[in-house]
Amino acid sequence: MPAADATLDGILEPFQPAGAGDLIPLLQEIQEAYGYLPADVLQEASRRTGIPTSRMYGVITFYSQFHLEPRGRHTVRACRGTACHVRGGKRVIEAAESYLGIGDGETRDDLTFTFETVACLGACALSPVIVVDERYAGKVTPERVEQMLQAVEAAEAAG
Amino acid sequence: MIESVAAFRDWQDELAAGLDPEAKVVTVCGDTNCRAFGSEAVRESFTQEIDRRGWQEQVSVKTTGCPGFCQRGPVVVTLPEHLFCGGVCTDDVPEILERVVLGGDAGVETVHDRDLFFYSGQRREVLRLNGILAPLDLEDYVAHGGYAAAAKALSELTPEQVIDEVREAGLRGRGGAGFPTGVKWRFCRDAEGSPKYLICNADEGDPGAFMDRSLLEGTPHAVLEGMLIAAYAIGASKGIVYVRAEYPTAVHHSEVAVEQARAAGLLGENILGSGFDFDIAVHRGSGAFVCGEETALIASLEGRRGMPRPRPPFPAVSGLWGRPTNINNVETLANVPLIVLKGSEWYRGIGTEGSKGTKIFALAGKVNNTGLVEVPMGTTLREIVFGIGGGIPGGRHFKAVQMGGPSGGCVPARYLDLPIDYDSVKDAGAIMGSGGMVVMDEATCMVDIARYFTEFVMNESCGKCAPCRIGTRQMHDILVRITEGRGELEDIDRLERLGEACAEGSLCGLGQTAANPVLSTIRHFRDEYVAHIVEKRCAANSCKKMVGTSCVAACPAHVNVPEYLALIKEGRSAEALEMIRRRNPFPSVCGRACDHPCETFCRRADLDEAVAIRNLKRFASDEVAGVGTPPVWKGERKGRVAVIGAGPCGLTAAYFLALMGREVTVLEKDEKIGGALITGIPAFRLPRDVLGRDIEYIRRAGVTIETGRSVDSIPKLLAAGYDAVLVAIGAQESAELAIPGEDKDGVEDTLAFLRKANSGRLAEVDGRVVVVGGGNAAIDAARVAQRLGAESVTVLYRRSREEMPALDEEVEEAISEGVEMQFLAAPVAIEGNGRVTHVRCVEMELGDADEQGRRRPIPVPGSESSLAADRVIVAIGQQPDLGLAEGYDGLEVDGRLFRADPVTQRSGESPVFVGGDVVTGPSTIIGAIGAGQRAAVAIDRFLGGAGELPAERVLADAIRPGEAVMAIARHQQPAQGYQLRIACLEAERCLRCDLE
Repeated sequence: MPAADATLDGILEPFQPAGAGDLIPLLQEIQEAYGYLPADVLQEASRRTGIPTSRMYGVITFYSQFHLEPRGRHTVRACRGTACHVRGGKRVIEAAESYLGIGDGETRDDLTFTFETVACLGACALSPVIVVDERYAGKVTPERVEQMLQAVEAAEAAG
Repeated sequence: MIESVAAFRDWQDELAAGLDPEAKVVTVCGDTNCRAFGSEAVRESFTQEIDRRGWQEQVSVKTTGCPGFCQRGPVVVTLPEHLFCGGVCTDDVPEILERVVLGGDAGVETVHDRDLFFYSGQRREVLRLNGILAPLDLEDYVAHGGYAAAAKALSELTPEQVIDEVREAGLRGRGGAGFPTGVKWRFCRDAEGSPKYLICNADEGDPGAFMDRSLLEGTPHAVLEGMLIAAYAIGASKGIVYVRAEYPTAVHHSEVAVEQARAAGLLGENILGSGFDFDIAVHRGSGAFVCGEETALIASLEGRRGMPRPRPPFPAVSGLWGRPTNINNVETLANVPLIVLKGSEWYRGIGTEGSKGTKIFALAGKVNNTGLVEVPMGTTLREIVFGIGGGIPGGRHFKAVQMGGPSGGCVPARYLDLPIDYDSVKDAGAIMGSGGMVVMDEATCMVDIARYFTEFVMNESCGKCAPCRIGTRQMHDILVRITEGRGELEDIDRLERLGEACAEGSLCGLGQTAANPVLSTIRHFRDEYVAHIVEKRCAANSCKKMVGTSCVAACPAHVNVPEYLALIKEGRSAEALEMIRRRNPFPSVCGRACDHPCETFCRRADLDEAVAIRNLKRFASDEVAGVGTPPVWKGERKGRVAVIGAGPCGLTAAYFLALMGREVTVLEKDEKIGGALITGIPAFRLPRDVLGRDIEYIRRAGVTIETGRSVDSIPKLLAAGYDAVLVAIGAQESAELAIPGEDKDGVEDTLAFLRKANSGRLAEVDGRVVVVGGGNAAIDAARVAQRLGAESVTVLYRRSREEMPALDEEVEEAISEGVEMQFLAAPVAIEGNGRVTHVRCVEMELGDADEQGRRRPIPVPGSESSLAADRVIVAIGQQPDLGLAEGYDGLEVDGRLFRADPVTQRSGESPVFVGGDVVTGPSTIIGAIGAGQRAAVAIDRFLGGAGELPAERVLADAIRPGEAVMAIARHQQPAQGYQLRIACLEAERCLRCDLE
């Protein structure tokens, strides 16, 4: 185990002993702490809880919220719900992808951005919708998306 | 910690007494939607401004849940007056505060919320506190009557009585299937086993629905109260809120509300001293649509992959951890306190026979007012979409409402007047679902929508049942093929068979309903499927592989819009004009009088507003001084063509034929050149010198135009040595009203009137003028009469303003010039002794929708009245003079029109071609230009040529979209010319769909 022992200890504490129903909340906690689900952390968690890694893997790959790869420091999520679809959401997605140079579900090599599309963000009245680091923006245009991403990049560059 | 119902009631009374109805409060919506528009900054600004002015005593600020009118976010409502302020920014804050504290009505625009039809058309029961309460303030909820229903149930009703009350009320599950809630509770109550679970399903995955999120964010305690009552009724001791992780605020608010309720003794052991124990945990879903299905949700809670299992056993018998489990949707639970408090009788008074109460719909898509609306069951789609929703933006036509998400379907225009409830929606081929209502307009392709939903269910299929896992992929592949123009007619049958197999062979609701979007679009929009497959045509101009660029495809002349807009942006107007003329020789005319289908289908309109293409065309044509030089044919001209009629169709055909090296003569019976451009369009809309420029350009291309040349026989023309003839004489005969008294003096048709007025033979109009009709010709006639000094001008139209076919902006201008509009009125007789004195009218009312969704006008019995009139202008349509067909067999006639091949414009096998209004009936200028262009190509080929139009010029270095630009140009006065800078900015708004 790398330097994460203390973190993992804290996460596992309320789950001792871990019941079957604890797996998803446990994975959610680990992901919250590490930003994704590192293989070594999962193995250690498996050893200590007795939940087989094979079961973990089955659950992780079923749900879209779990990630086995490191994520970018900034997450850009574009909605592809019905309302966004009919209101030009595709153009917003294309604008984000072309600006970031990555596709749906991908992370930039420098780990600055992860881009993903979401089935519906539940903000249909303001379609098309994009969320940058939990900040929702409604009725966006391709130009607006570029501005938002530029602003994030500028803030990143400024430290 | 409150230990008894009596203590709770004392607390409630105390809190309620503390509410000051006169208190000045600024409420700011804190829902996710309004926060996306910056409501947090607005709230912050209110707090600062109050501090700065030292007004803390006079006014307070409160962050609330969603008041529903998301379109106008950030929404601020000021109390006690209930003034609604939409689109508030921080700059508005001082004015709003001054108004609240000091009174007066200066400053920002506000309106009483009950005066907004968006609200007055609704019946907000479940949402009544959303937008009023601070979501995380338990006392606020209790002060407004919260938990009183729970206290009543716990102290006055047995569980059996609660179940009976809910069953009597007729409450049906709001999550989609509409199963009676009381019956469901009864199953679970009767089941053996302990503990029993109550789950609130907030895994709201249907794209297009967000009422559950909004309820949990705005009034989380109302949902918890519903859960508490439900748990009491079925005897559950453990509750779970299963909420999507994609809804962080809803998760947070649920968690905080549970803690608050627990601390107050409203959850936990021995609640309010009743001896009943119940506690709630919040569980975050992890992003799987299928977990909205009950057994999949349970699998997910048990820490497994969320895959459904066969039923029975039903969760009521064996659910979570094998115990009896009841699962209700958020909105269902939010209805429960209302029923317990107000009684089933009250509740039954709302709604229809089979569906009681109200329903919350999430209105989104191509509709002006988006947001959450709550209406009684049985409200019609028209009331929701066109009433509360304010209709369709951008001048497009309504096509369908998608209801029920991926399990639902598209409900077309002819169901607009259908009262909506569980059963009627099902009959229309959709489902109520959770209440998502995504409005679609004519630019939305129904095959693409079917593809979209099929892609969704394909991705979300858990993979357990083969018919769903494989069937959705097969359907998706077929739909992709069709949208790319590679479909075959058998595909429609294949889709239907696959859809049925998927429905029959799948375990859960996802698979059973996966094909609904496909089947409902095939049922209601089979034409679109066939057009994609047979004609390779997408009526919505949307399917990229087939139509290329939407605006170019929508234009009957297929002008390369993006390229010429790019040239205008660069300040190269002369080149832009030249580019337009490669497909349309009338840029100056179309810059003013075109009905611009390019703008209707502009993809920018999906996002905000269409690029102002027509005005930019006008700008380019105004910018360029002089007529310009066409690329004149240098070689010897071969093949003689006669074009009968110098209107837009004839002149366009002549122009292109001249460019292709033919010897063309246009024969026009009038002295003036332009046909319907002169007789049909008044000079104030199309100045004659502007028309003259385009005509001169056409002449310079080598077209001979002879005026005063009436043609009465095709054989004579052919005998005179013409190799081909184009008949483009337009529709110059007016249709008649067919009512008594139509032959009286003072009654004339619109063309005769406009011809006289436009030629200057009628210098003045006096007296009262009545115009009958609702098209552009009617409005033109009315405006001309008004300008020529009529005492009054009244337009009679048998339907309402919404159905009026005339261009909206023309109608607006007519009204602003003083023309009166009398809608829902039709003439039944013209009265007078020799000369008209009155028009006898009958009132009309609108009946059910026709296929296009337009409501049929029906006369109201006994509603006749007389309208004084000195002159009646009939403008109910025109038809062509079919006389030419009498002496010549080669001209085919179809009813009141000539018949031609839709592609070549050729009439049968003869050397005669027909085009424009003679074939289509009165149509548009650009429609006639398109027909002329097609006829030119076909005639050239007929004469042995290649039929090549000037090469579609493509700029060597594509000009790409630049920096963001606001829709400035739209807000300038469109009737006036554009400044260069504004034009450049507007042109830059083009998304360059052609470069994708």
